[in-house]
Amino acid sequence: MTMLEFANVSFSYGSKRFMDQMSFSVAEGELVGLMGPNGAGKSTILKLAAGLLSPQMGKVMVGKRAIGSFRGQERAKLVAYLPQILDLQAPFRVGELVRMGEYPQEGSQALTVDEALHIVGLHGKTKTHIADLSGGERRRAYIAMTLVQGARVLLLDEPLASLDIKYQFDLYRLLKDIVREKGVSVFMSLHDIGMGAMLDRLLLVKDGQLIAQGEPGGVLTDEIVRNAYDLNDSIDLYMATNNTVCRALAAASLQ
Amino acid sequence: MKRDRGATFLVAAALCAASLCIIVVSVASGPRLLNPFSMDSETCRTLLAIRLPRTAVAILMGGALGASGAILQGIFRNPLADPYILGISSGASLAASFGLMFGISLFTLSVPLLAFAGAIATGMAVVILGHGWKGLQPERLLLAGVGIGFFLSAVLMLVMTISVDDGLRRAILWMSGDLSLVDWGVLPVGLFFILTGFGLAFTRRKGLNALTLGDDIAHSLGFNPTRERLFLFIAASLMTAASVSMGGVVGFIGLVVPHVVRRHVGSDASVVLPLSVVAGGTLLCFADAVGRTVAAPLELPAGVIAALIGSPYFIFLLGQRKTH
Repeated sequence: MTMLEFANVSFSYGSKRFMDQMSFSVAEGELVGLMGPNGAGKSTILKLAAGLLSPQMGKVMVGKRAIGSFRGQERAKLVAYLPQILDLQAPFRVGELVRMGEYPQEGSQALTVDEALHIVGLHGKTKTHIADLSGGERRRAYIAMTLVQGARVLLLDEPLASLDIKYQFDLYRLLKDIVREKGVSVFMSLHDIGMGAMLDRLLLVKDGQLIAQGEPGGVLTDEIVRNAYDLNDSIDLYMATNNTVCRALAAASLQ
Repeated sequence: MKRDRGATFLVAAALCAASLCIIVVSVASGPRLLNPFSMDSETCRTLLAIRLPRTAVAILMGGALGASGAILQGIFRNPLADPYILGISSGASLAASFGLMFGISLFTLSVPLLAFAGAIATGMAVVILGHGWKGLQPERLLLAGVGIGFFLSAVLMLVMTISVDDGLRRAILWMSGDLSLVDWGVLPVGLFFILTGFGLAFTRRKGLNALTLGDDIAHSLGFNPTRERLFLFIAASLMTAASVSMGGVVGFIGLVVPHVVRRHVGSDASVVLPLSVVAGGTLLCFADAVGRTVAAPLELPAGVIAALIGSPYFIFLLGQRKTH
């Protein structure tokens, strides 16, 4: 079942056309990555999917409805969005932050705060201030909030940025578990080719256009990646090494 | 979670108990100590005509400023935001000082009404200037408030330099948060706008929490950031305007009280807003009692005493906060 769909979406910043007739979909229980060079339009795509931006043409559909047709609370029950930069100085404790996920649900939330904290591995840190968490823990606390929110589509803007390799794999494992056990669809932007190779599907964008999509093996080819990032040299060796390391670490992490 | 709520309840109960004690002490203390067990007609008159309205105004003003500070620090995501950073107090000060210095006193409530009108007009100007193409952005709103505040302060200084001596002294006292002239007359209107502002803010407490995390996450949680920020700004403006109109400009309560409250009960606006009212009201009540007692028969403005108490504590608080 399709949870998120872009149907011929065009978007302009001012008078400048940025995205033209983009179409793709994300299915229920799928972990999809969005890759591309800086400025390619990854954040714009995620903001369009979240309803933070409105397309000039085409439709962004969540479930069977256009994202713009939802009222605020209705939308929040289906879609959650986490920006790349999360507030380091948010004055809340972990428990207070995660409890905010109850706001759209009005007592009918999919998970309790304690359950969500348990899933993300922060059950002992209810009273810890957000500012006292590591980058990876902070990201997990926000994800716990979206789990309480009960969103069926989770949009993450570069969640792996600035995390060391341990936290990257912790987060990967967490997202994999959420997708597998809760049937949530995760659509995330990222830069790491090795991590991208482990996702269910990848979209590759350049200059606001979708230049490749499909299983990682078919998207992350030497030719496509060099074209996307304007590289002159072959990256076969880089990708092979990166993929091998990532798969070994992921296998160890998932055990 | 239940243990958290229990601890919060204990802090709230302790604060309310301390507040009640301070209110009783405040009513009794002053140039002449009132004995509640020996009430003659003179004592009753002092109590009803001077002490009770003054204590009530101090509680209302301090409560309104505490809650306004909590709101503004949340919607601007800035721990240094307070009710006076937005120019609202400058607008109120200019209008009230204009009345005081040029003898505009058609009726007894002229000055409070002028102050209220000045504050509301300034608040509206800040909202209009702070509204960009992306809605009410906190940075733009803050800059608009600071800019308008500086401009109005400059006009105020200009007016003060050309005013007559008696009016100038009264204006300076008013701007220092002088409660010596308040009576029951200012209470109904002030109470109405403070309750309206607080009610509006409390119904938006979830939006306030969400805005503290940023507009994108507030949107993700189902809120319209611009609408929530506008309602909360109106609530803070109403409370600040009502507070300034009742007893002048009192600094630091709006800045310090929310931080102190958060330190003890966390940052959930459902708890911080009402407890900031109690703590702010208690602090100003205490400052006013100290101000009229320590140098009696001379009265020191409550705003000055509140700032003298608030500033060192705020500096102490900064020293304590290593990370958050």
